[in-house]
Amino acid sequence: MKTILLLEDLPEIRAWLKTLVMQVFPDGQISEAARVHDAIELASAIKFDLALVDLGLPDGSGVRVVEKLRDTQSDCQSVVVTIHDDDEHLFPALQAGAFGYILKEQARELIIEQLQRMAQGEPPLSPSIARRVIAYFAAQTKPKQPDLLPHVSLTERESEVLLRVAKGYTLPEIGVQLGLSRHTIADYVKQIYRKLNVSSRAEAALEAQRLGLFRR
Amino acid sequence: MARYGFFDRWPRPALAALLWLALATPAAQAQAQPQALLEALAADDTGQGHFPVESTPRAVSLPDDWARSRPFVNTPLWYRLHFDAADQAGLIGLYLEHACANVEVQLNGQRLHAAGRTIDPISLDCQRPLLLPLPAALLQAGNNTLDLRLSGYALRQVASHQRAGALAAPLIGDYAALAARDDRDRLLAVTLPTVASALLLLTALLVLVVARSSRRDSHLLYFAGLATGWALVTARLWWHELPLSNFDSELLLACLPPLVALAAVQFLIHYAGWRSRPIEVALYAQCVAVPGSLLLAGPLRVHMTASSWYVLLVLQVLTAMVFYLWTTWRTRRRDFWVMAVLLGVCAVMVALELATQQIGLPSPWQHLPQLLMPLAFVAMGLHLVQQQVNEPLSGEADRLALGDRAREAGVAMEKSYAEMVELRVEQVTRQERKRIAGDLHDDLGAKLLTIVHTSDSERISTLAREALEEMRLSVRGLTGKSVKLIDALGDWRAEVVGRLSQTGVESEWSAPTDELTQSLSARAYVQTTRILREAVSNIIKHSGASRCSIRCLVSNGDFQLAIQDNGRGIPLELDGRLDRGHGMASMKHRAKQLQGQCLVESGPGYGTVIRLTLPLEQQANPA
Repeated sequence: MKTILLLEDLPEIRAWLKTLVMQVFPDGQISEAARVHDAIELASAIKFDLALVDLGLPDGSGVRVVEKLRDTQSDCQSVVVTIHDDDEHLFPALQAGAFGYILKEQARELIIEQLQRMAQGEPPLSPSIARRVIAYFAAQTKPKQPDLLPHVSLTERESEVLLRVAKGYTLPEIGVQLGLSRHTIADYVKQIYRKLNVSSRAEAALEAQRLGLFRR
Repeated sequence: MARYGFFDRWPRPALAALLWLALATPAAQAQAQPQALLEALAADDTGQGHFPVESTPRAVSLPDDWARSRPFVNTPLWYRLHFDAADQAGLIGLYLEHACANVEVQLNGQRLHAAGRTIDPISLDCQRPLLLPLPAALLQAGNNTLDLRLSGYALRQVASHQRAGALAAPLIGDYAALAARDDRDRLLAVTLPTVASALLLLTALLVLVVARSSRRDSHLLYFAGLATGWALVTARLWWHELPLSNFDSELLLACLPPLVALAAVQFLIHYAGWRSRPIEVALYAQCVAVPGSLLLAGPLRVHMTASSWYVLLVLQVLTAMVFYLWTTWRTRRRDFWVMAVLLGVCAVMVALELATQQIGLPSPWQHLPQLLMPLAFVAMGLHLVQQQVNEPLSGEADRLALGDRAREAGVAMEKSYAEMVELRVEQVTRQERKRIAGDLHDDLGAKLLTIVHTSDSERISTLAREALEEMRLSVRGLTGKSVKLIDALGDWRAEVVGRLSQTGVESEWSAPTDELTQSLSARAYVQTTRILREAVSNIIKHSGASRCSIRCLVSNGDFQLAIQDNGRGIPLELDGRLDRGHGMASMKHRAKQLQGQCLVESGPGYGTVIRLTLPLEQQANPA
């Protein structure tokens, strides 16, 4: 039985999402929230397996909820559900620890398929996101404070996967090219997102420390 | 600041002319047939008005220099000479090249010539030769007696050897020949120096006129002073009647050299671009010290004091010359060689002049300084004047250069200001667009989304969904940065291949694999995305194709995209042209907006080919 958090401010959309979720996870227990504040409260109280988080909320960005869930409940899969398809909005969410993302306006069948895929452990990865990740880790290879930052880097395989995704190959094609199963590739993508999160968090912590030092 | 002088244009010919002039002037001695009387009997004057026959004369050889024969006596001296006039036909003359200071001539007891004062202050006729015709009436056949009474000063009483008592060997001979010789000597001894003085004064005036009142032209003023001073020094040759005693006139004369030395040293120092207050003060002090020391030394030590001072002054001037040459050599001035030669000539002349004053030099050496120095001065004066005239020109060039630089700076400033304004405008525009995009997303996007998910009609949902996609693209076109072509190709491939594979159409995608450096503006990216989407939608919905190939390449600066499917093709309209539906019009219109073109070929059994060509250079600018 899955506990699911649903964070969306528009009521019709929320209702619609709920029906979708219930279709994918018939025995799921759904908690709804319309504001970040409420979502965080729920997250402190209930242990969730899955969270569908909208980004644009009246009292802030859903990224905070993603962060909170990542900090307190690392097993929870947060999926960002958003209208924005550009990497400028999605990348921070991924850095914060989101497992994947869904574009809101897609047909329900597609969304269902994506949810199912994510449930099976295959997060989505678009070329633009892949490019952002490559750029991010490329910047990481020149660490400013090599001692303090835990040096998180991608393995060669992961880099290959990313590069091919950036070039526009679909996952089955990549599987054929690298001689790997779809499942393995999906694992790689998960790893990539995890590393992204770890690295981003470490960076954020360092930044906070630095600011704290200055403040002191 | 460059200075271009007179001799910089034609240094060699001018200097050659100078030297030729200098060397040609002491012309070959006119061959004197006349006999020179080289022996005389000398006796001190006893005031009788004729040769004192009672005293014991002594034999002297002529030319006689009192500085050597009787250095400490300055009473007049009688010379008795004998000559034989028998073998001379025609008018006979007596020629005395040099008799210092005043000479009285008696022939056979008859006074022939007496002029001027013979006691202190003696009329100084030192520089003028004396030519006397010997009247036949006074001449005797056979032996004749010539008595000369010389009044002069002892060497120690005068500053210059030229004014010390001396008598040259008299010449007796044909009057005409002697006259010629007299003319020549007079020219050398009197006329030329007078002309030279006049030239010097003119040069001084010219330089003075050209000098401006600025500090930079101080060297010109000193040069004018130097030229004037030297003119006066040369003028002493023809002043012989001064109503002052010998000592006083020597004192007066002695005031000149320190002034000349001051002017020379200051001129050289300032011309070299240097300045020294202590040296200036010392030079002025010297002008007072020289006559002062002479005054203290008294009339009998004039020569000694003056000589030492003169040597010192000459050394000072020579030092200044060396300093000047060293400075200009270091700074590599253009007129170095010209000035070096001129100064060299002057240095040699000054040395000669000093020697003349001290020990006496034979003619023509003693005349050389009087002739060459003025010429050298004139040459230097012209050089300086030319530099002055050319200076405004170089100053002009500097001013023009400065003006150019100021203008360049102005242009650069304007450009950077314009860039700044442009950046600011860009920034503001970008912010505006972001705001619009945000508003669109929040407002319009949310509403469309609601329609998508709450509508019962599939068609309405689809339409709303497509509207949302369109809105997203428009926002992207407004706010997006330019996209690298490779990245765009990656995005398109994912979308196209993904969509086609989902609907079961086999897809083949080929794109350039080498590194592409071109970029697309956000607008071009968005419009091409739309075209692609339209084309793929057509294939999926209408064509019934089972295979589709997409080829992209870059050639001749254009981006070319060809989408080919094996479907049933686009149906023809009644007029034989392709059906204007299926978004063909919008595709063509979009391509045209991007300065490109979109061609469609279609036919039953042939499938459809859509060729899109976009020029890449223009797309590189952020729209």
